[in-house]
Amino acid sequence: MTRRALVAVALALGLSACGGIVGAGNAGNVETADNGQVEGELVISNWPGYVDPGKDNSLAQFTDRTGVEIEYIEDINSNTAFFGKVQPLLDQGESGDRSIMVVTDWMAKQMYDLGYLQEVEHKDLPTVFENIRPGIVSSELDPDRKFSIPWQSGMTGIWVDTEEAPDITSINDLFDPKYKGRVTMLDEMRDTVPLVMKADGVDPADATTEDWMAAVEKIQGAVDDGQIRRFTGNDYTEDITSGNSVASIGWSGDGYLISNDNAEWRMPDEGCMLWTDNMVIPVGAPNTPAALEYMNYVYEPEVQAPITAYINYVTPVDGVKEIFLKEGDKGLASDPLIFPDEEFTKDCTAQVNPPVESAEDITGAFEDVVSG
Amino acid sequence: MSSSRKGGLIPAGLLGPGVIWLVLFFVVPMYFMGEMALRSGSLASGGFAFTWEWSNFSDALDGRGSQIIRTIYYSGAATLIALLIAYPLSYAIAFKISPRWRLIFLFAVIAPFFTTYLIRTIGWKTILSDSSPVVDFLKTIGVLPEDGRLLATPAAVIAGLTYNFLPFMILPIYASLEQLDGRLIEASKDLYASARTTFRKVTLPLTAPGIVAGVLLTFIPAFGDYVNAQLLGGTGQAMIGNKIQSLYLVERDYPEAAALSFMMMAAILITVLIYIRLAGTEAFMGAEDED
Repeated sequence: MTRRALVAVALALGLSACGGIVGAGNAGNVETADNGQVEGELVISNWPGYVDPGKDNSLAQFTDRTGVEIEYIEDINSNTAFFGKVQPLLDQGESGDRSIMVVTDWMAKQMYDLGYLQEVEHKDLPTVFENIRPGIVSSELDPDRKFSIPWQSGMTGIWVDTEEAPDITSINDLFDPKYKGRVTMLDEMRDTVPLVMKADGVDPADATTEDWMAAVEKIQGAVDDGQIRRFTGNDYTEDITSGNSVASIGWSGDGYLISNDNAEWRMPDEGCMLWTDNMVIPVGAPNTPAALEYMNYVYEPEVQAPITAYINYVTPVDGVKEIFLKEGDKGLASDPLIFPDEEFTKDCTAQVNPPVESAEDITGAFEDVVSG
Repeated sequence: MSSSRKGGLIPAGLLGPGVIWLVLFFVVPMYFMGEMALRSGSLASGGFAFTWEWSNFSDALDGRGSQIIRTIYYSGAATLIALLIAYPLSYAIAFKISPRWRLIFLFAVIAPFFTTYLIRTIGWKTILSDSSPVVDFLKTIGVLPEDGRLLATPAAVIAGLTYNFLPFMILPIYASLEQLDGRLIEASKDLYASARTTFRKVTLPLTAPGIVAGVLLTFIPAFGDYVNAQLLGGTGQAMIGNKIQSLYLVERDYPEAAALSFMMMAAILITVLIYIRLAGTEAFMGAEDED
């Protein structure tokens, strides 16, 4: 045996020894993210505007503390488009150098079920599980937080131009002919369709295929009547800024993207959709020890506070509110969109997937409405 | 002997880079697309297997008739409008203005390319938005009804397509006008042809190749475009490109997306072949007569 072959065998043995390949109840074998020496480079994929900016931001301070250089890429504009981009890589067990990606619950679950994510061990994430908000320590799609660690949460409701459409308080008001052609909805099926369902008194958590289809048909009817101007991604913020729309289904933390003094995020009468974007570690992640260290790092309240203060979504970390109060920032500390209490979100529903057996049909039907 | 060997090597050398390019970036992807179009399965159930799934083709067309007609209508209208704008403009640049200004006008035609296509289209969103001065003005003079709008209408999509592909119409037409031998027009006048007859019998036939090239260069990209419908259009105004994008990225039905792409390419190819055939016989008639 040549020396090169020996090295290869030794490497293979070493890798399998610390790789810890465990079987799980999904499509294939699931790896568990290795912990170890924190060093090297860490590549993170996240959404635009989703971390505090500046030369001395939380990312730079992480490098100062640990010596790990971070390459922070804002290449996620939508869950689906990002998945379309990385799926061929992930399918071959590669992550394109990424060690952390930030995706919404349902996408995290979908990636996990396809065997594209590594599991994390709670013992490697002490700070995370010490400081995570009790309300979010478990989720419908990842009850034990085995593969998804919350980055930020948010609410889907209605952005209203209070001057032009003061009386819109419910999703049903969006179907009022008075606002024909001046209403937009999100092209994210899991936001728009369940909200319409809720407006008709159906609980999305136990909605049947018929319920989903009925909501899709109701939206199609509104499209045919010219009621709905367009389906949007994040760009609904432009429509409400420039007065193209008077009411848009939209996300709670987007206030800083809307320069219209009359714009206001409203909790729909029938409640909102709740969702969480999560840090996940993809298969083939080159630097899992640094990824785990980073997850712990952002769960320190002192690190989290400036992130929350900038991006205005719902933080998953306990103790941030106390920091705002201590710093005398009462406005942030009392903002219900950043620290919603139970009363505020009592009618809200966690984002759900359509029934498995008809998911493709429902997605197809909704997409025919959006791009038909 | 040596000259014939040389003759064999030079064409090969000239064609080589282009052929390699076409094989790598056209033939190979076409093969993979065709192969994908015949697969079945889903990502969730473990991927797509090759099963000669011809039904993907009928599924891809099922219920999309009106969308395909809409796509032809939008891209056809944009091509026609672009032609109606481009021909007089090119004619003016080539014949009616002093050569000193010619370069400046041509530069103005190409200048928009210095900014990316996406940014320019997003710019139109601001220009056409409901509260913009343009819309206010059109409402004041009564072109638009009081509750009317420009953005999120078919007109906005067609205007966007026209705007974005107009230079592809202007440049080939200008090139053919510029090469036109002025003595032929003089000769036509000497033979007592009116200005209109001269244009119809001399100028137009001789610049037909430019028109054919311009129409193709405009229609083909407009047909496959999805950015204009996405940014400037509203509900019920999506083009077939938007559907392919959604099939691929959102529904993740790769085989159906591939089948639909394949059929659209084939449709374009056939349309173009018929068009060149028809236009060719008519357009080059004059040239053939001269021979």
